[in-house]
Amino acid sequence: MKNRENILNKANELRWEIGESLHDNLLESIYKFATEISSRVIAVDVSKKSKSFDSKLDQILTSSKFGFPIMFLLLALVFWLTIEGANIPSSLLSSFLIDSIYPQLKTFSSNIGLPFWVDGILIDGCYLAMAWVIAVMLPPMAIFFPLFTLLEDFGYLPRVAFNMDFLFKRAGAHGKQALTMAMGFGCNAAAVISTRIIDSPRERLIAIITNNFSLCNGRWPMQILIATIFIGALAPSHLAGLFSAAAVVGITLLGILLALLVSWSLSKTILKGEASAFSLELPPYRPPRILKTLYTSLIDRTIFVLWRAVVFAVPAGAMIWLVSNITFEGLSIAEWFINWANPFGLLIGLNGVILLAYIIAIPANEIVLPTILMLTVLVAGTPEIGAGSGVMFELDSAAATANVLSLGEWSLLTGVSIMLFSLMHNPCSTTIYTIYKETGSVKWTFVAAVLPLLIGFVFCFFLAQIWRLFG
Amino acid sequence: MNLNRLTHAGNQCENCPAHNIPNLKKLGINMDKVDQVIALAGNPNTGKSTVFNNLTGLKQHTGNWPGKTVTRAEGTFEYNTKRFKIVDLPGTYSLLSTSTDEEIARDFILFGQPDVTVIVADSTRLERNLNLTLQVLEITDRAILCLNLMDEAARHRISIDTKQLSKELGIPVIEAEARQKKGMNELLQSIDEIISGRYKCKPFRMNKLSPQIEHSLKQLEVLIKKEFPNMPNSRWVALRLLEGDQKIIDSIRSGEIGLIHSYNQNDLSNNIYEKNTV
Amino acid sequence: MNLFLSTLILFISTILLVFFLKKNKILIQWKNRKNDKRRIKIEDALKYLYNCEYNKLTCSLNSIAGSLSITSNEAANLIKILEEMGMIATAGESFILTAEGKRYALRVIRTHRLWEKYLADETSISETDWHSLAEIKEHKITSEEAENLSAQIGNPLFDPHGDPIPTAEGIIPRRKGIPLTQLEKGDFGKIVHLEDEPSAIYQQLVAEGLYIGQQVKLIDKNNERLHFEANNESCFLAPSFAKNVTVEMLPDLSLVKKSFKRLSDLKLGEKGVVVGISKACRGKQRRRLLDLGLVPGSVVKAEIKSVGGDPTGFNIRGALIAIRKKQSDQIFIKNESE
Ligand SMILES: Nc1nc2c(ncn2[C@@H]2O[C@H](COP(=O)(O)OP(=O)(O)OP(=O)(O)O)[C@@H](O)[C@H]2O)c(=O)[nH]1
Ligand SMILES: [Mg+2]
Repeated sequence: MKNRENILNKANELRWEIGESLHDNLLESIYKFATEISSRVIAVDVSKKSKSFDSKLDQILTSSKFGFPIMFLLLALVFWLTIEGANIPSSLLSSFLIDSIYPQLKTFSSNIGLPFWVDGILIDGCYLAMAWVIAVMLPPMAIFFPLFTLLEDFGYLPRVAFNMDFLFKRAGAHGKQALTMAMGFGCNAAAVISTRIIDSPRERLIAIITNNFSLCNGRWPMQILIATIFIGALAPSHLAGLFSAAAVVGITLLGILLALLVSWSLSKTILKGEASAFSLELPPYRPPRILKTLYTSLIDRTIFVLWRAVVFAVPAGAMIWLVSNITFEGLSIAEWFINWANPFGLLIGLNGVILLAYIIAIPANEIVLPTILMLTVLVAGTPEIGAGSGVMFELDSAAATANVLSLGEWSLLTGVSIMLFSLMHNPCSTTIYTIYKETGSVKWTFVAAVLPLLIGFVFCFFLAQIWRLFG
Repeated sequence: MNLNRLTHAGNQCENCPAHNIPNLKKLGINMDKVDQVIALAGNPNTGKSTVFNNLTGLKQHTGNWPGKTVTRAEGTFEYNTKRFKIVDLPGTYSLLSTSTDEEIARDFILFGQPDVTVIVADSTRLERNLNLTLQVLEITDRAILCLNLMDEAARHRISIDTKQLSKELGIPVIEAEARQKKGMNELLQSIDEIISGRYKCKPFRMNKLSPQIEHSLKQLEVLIKKEFPNMPNSRWVALRLLEGDQKIIDSIRSGEIGLIHSYNQNDLSNNIYEKNTV
Repeated sequence: MNLFLSTLILFISTILLVFFLKKNKILIQWKNRKNDKRRIKIEDALKYLYNCEYNKLTCSLNSIAGSLSITSNEAANLIKILEEMGMIATAGESFILTAEGKRYALRVIRTHRLWEKYLADETSISETDWHSLAEIKEHKITSEEAENLSAQIGNPLFDPHGDPIPTAEGIIPRRKGIPLTQLEKGDFGKIVHLEDEPSAIYQQLVAEGLYIGQQVKLIDKNNERLHFEANNESCFLAPSFAKNVTVEMLPDLSLVKKSFKRLSDLKLGEKGVVVGISKACRGKQRRRLLDLGLVPGSVVKAEIKSVGGDPTGFNIRGALIAIRKKQSDQIFIKNESE
C-alpha cells in the first residue's frame, strides 16, 4: 500500500520537473518514429493521377460558387427519385394488403365466428395499422436509404459538414453538428449517441437539443406523401414530382435553419459560450460498391426500421381501435378527445385527429400517418368504411390517402401545417430516453423534449392566422 | 470509369475462395462460452466495422466518415473450433488524450486484456496510422496490423513492403480489402498463430524519447516494477502517470493494475477479462 | 356538509404545512448564506495572507482591509476570528499563517486554479472572465468535488496563467522566473506567468496578445515604458504593468525565432512546415491538434477552402483535415526551405 502511494508521489514530483510540455514532446517523438518506419516501407508512384481527381472534385464541391447549389440539387434529386419511384410500389402494396388480404381476413373471422371486439382489435386495429405502415413506408424507405447510403459511402457527408461549418460557427455550435444532423436524417436516437464525436460538452448539448430538427426515418414517408397529395396537386401533373420534391427539400432546409437558429439562441442564453475548436478529417472519396450498398441498406436498414414501425404499429392499432370503439355517453373516447381538441387544433392549422394521433404516436414517429388515417376512417368515417370497405381500396395509394384525408376535411393549410408540425414537435420516446441516458439530466431532457413542441405550436399558430387572413 | 471497374471486380469476387472462408462460423451475438477475445482498434474510418461485420455476420453501421462508431460493439465467431469474441472499438487518433471514445478504446485494450488486438490501418495513410499503432504496441504485446483498403492504396499507386513493416514492428502484418472480404482468412490464420503461440510477437517499443522524459520514466519504472513485478507494460504505465491519467492512478492505488500480466508468462487471460470488464 | 368541512380542513392544513416547511427552509437558507459570507471572507483573507508570504511581502491590517474591501474594524474582527481558529499567528505588526492556516489557504488556491484551468481548457468562456468566475467557485465546491474536477481535466500542474496548482496534500513548488522589467536591452525571455490581479492590468496584458510560453525580446526600456517584441510585433507597456509579467530568461538564442508565419497565412496550394502550436491553444484542443499530426516538422499544405471561406482543409501527413481559422491562427509554421 505504502509502495503504491510512493509511486504516485514520485510521479507527482517528476511531473513538476517536466512541466507541461510532456504531451507535446511525446507526440513529436512518436511521429518521428512513425516517419522513420514508413520511410522504409512505403513507396509512392509520383505520377499518380487519381489523387488529383479527388482534389479537383473537392475544389468543385467546396467552391463558393457550386458548393451549396450542388448540395441542394443532390438533396432534391434524392427526394425526387424517392417520390417518383415510391408511387407505384406503394399502390401495389396497398392494393394487395388492403384490397385483397383485408376483406379475406374479415370474411375468415366472421366465418369462424370471432366476437366483434376480437375481430376489431386484431383486424381493424392491429392488422390495418401494420398494413398501412408497410404500404406507406416501405417503398420510400427502400429508395431513400440506399441513395443516402451511397452518398455516405462516397464520402460526401463530411464535405457538407465542412461547407456548413461557417454557419454553425456563427451559431456558436460545433462543425461536427452537421454530421450528427445528417445521422439524424436516419434516426434521431442514433444521432443523439453520435454526438459523442463532439468534444465540448456545451456544444454537444446544443447538438443533442437541436437534433430533432433533422427529419428522421419515421417522418420522411409522411412528408413525402403529404407533399405528393397537397403540393404536387398544385402543379401540372408532369411537374408534380418535382414540386413535391421541392417542398420536401424546403422543409428539410427549414429544419436546418431552425437547428441553426435554436443553436444560436441557446448559445446566447442558457448555454452561453463561443464556438470552440473544430477539426474534422475529410475522408478520401471512395467509389461505393453500388449493388452491394443497395442490397445491404435495403436489407439492413429498411427492414430494421420497418420492423420497428410494425412493432410499434401493432399495439397502437389495437389502441386506436379501442379508443374509437369504447363509447361513453354515446361518443367514443377518440371522439370526445377530438371534439375537445379540435378548436385548439384548428387554431394552429391542424385538427383534433392529428393531435390525438401525435399523442398515440409518441412511441414512434413512424406511425403518425397510419394513425391519422385510421382515426379518420374510424371516427369521421362513413359507415361503409367503418365496416371495412370503401375509399381506402382505390388503386393508387396516394389517391387513396387523399380520399381519406378529404373525409377529415383537410385543406392545403392542414397539409402544410402538418408537414411543419412533423418537423417541429417532441422527439419520439426512444429518442427522449436516449437523450436522458446521454445527458444524465432530467432538465436537459425536458428542454430537448418540450422546446421543439413549443416552437411548433408558435410557428403553426402564426402560419394559420396569417394564412386565414389572406386566404 | 473507375467506379464501374471496381463494382465489377467486386461482383466477380462473390465466387472467389475468400468469400467462403473455411473453418469460419459466424455466430452473431451468441456469447456462450467464448475462448478468446479479439479487439479491433484503429484510426477512425479505416474499416474496423467492416472487418467486424465480415467475421461475425453482424451489421454494424459503416460509412465513409470518421466517427461512425462511437460505442463498442461485440460479436462472436468460431474458427478452427475455437470460439472468439470480437470487439469493435471506436476509431481514435491516439490513446493518450482524454475524450470518451479514446477512453473506451484505451480501457478495453488495457483492462479488457484482449488475447489479440487487431489494429486496422488505412494503407493510403499509413504514416499517420502508425501513430496509433505504436501507442497500442506500448500497451499490449500481442497485436496484428491489418493493412486495410489495399485497393485504395493501389488506386493511389502506393505500395507497401509488408514483410519489412512486419519486421520493423515485430508483429504480423496482413494486407486486406475488407469491403471485398479479401484478407480475412489470412487475418484469422494469423490470429490463430498468435494465440497458439506459433508466432511470438516482439513488438516495437519506442525507446528513445527526449532525455528528460527518459530520465523520469526510468525512475518511475523502477518503482513500478518493484511493486508489480509481472506488469508487461510498466513503461507505458509510468508514462501515463507522468501525464496524470486518473484511471491509471486509481488502478495503481487499488492494485488492480497488477492483475494485468504478460502473455509470454502464462495464458490465463480470460479470467482476468471476466473480472475487469462487464 | 361533513364532507365539505373535512375537505376544507385538510386543504387548509396542507397549505399551512407547506408554508411552514418552506419558511423553515428559507430560514435555514438565510442562515447559511450569512455563514457562507463569513466563510468567504475568512477564505479570502487566508488566500491573501498566503500570497503575501509566497511573494515575500509583509501584510498589515490595512492591506488586508484593502484587498478584501472591508473597513479596518471589520478586518480586525476577521483577524481575531482567524486567530481563535488557530489559522494565523501575530508577529509584531504583521501576521503569519500557521500550518493549519497554510493548508486551508492552499486548498482554496488549489480549487481556484483548478477551476481556472477547467474554464480555460474545457469551456469557451472568455479569458478575462476566468479569474472572476473562479473567485466565486473556489468557495463553493467541496474538496472532494475539487478532486473529481482535477481528475476530469487530467490532474493539471499549472493554471492557465502559469501559476502552479498546489497538490491535494498542499505541496507547491517555488516559482521560477523574473519580472519582465528586469530584462535588459536585447535580452530574450519566455513568458511563464501573467498575474491576474488586479484585473484591469491583466486585461490590458491579454489585450496586448501576451500569453504563457510566448517568446519576447526587450528592445528598449526607460522609466515610462518598456518596448519589447512579441511574435514579431512591437509592444509597449508601462513598468507598472510589465512587472505583472513574469519571464524566464532564454540564454540560448538559437531557440528563439524572430518571426513565424501562421498556418492561416498559407494560401491555397502553398506548403509550410509546422514549428509549434501557441500555448494559447490548450487542453483538449491542443491534444487533438497534436494527435492529428500537427507536430513540429510536419509538412502541411492548404488544399481547399469551404463555401463560407472559413474552415480550410489542410493536407497533414496524408490526410485532409479541416481546421477553423481560430485554431490555424495558433499554429506557427515556416517555409519548407528554411
Ligand atoms: N474501397 C474500400 N473501402 C473500404 C474497405 N474497407 C472498408 N471500406 C469502406 O470504408 C468506409 C469506412 O468503413 P467502416 O468499417 O465504417 O470504418 P470504421 O473503422 O469502423 O470507422 P469508425 O467507426 O468511424 O472508426 C466504409 O464506407 C466502407 O465501406 C476496403 O477494403 N476497400
Ligand atoms: Mg466503425
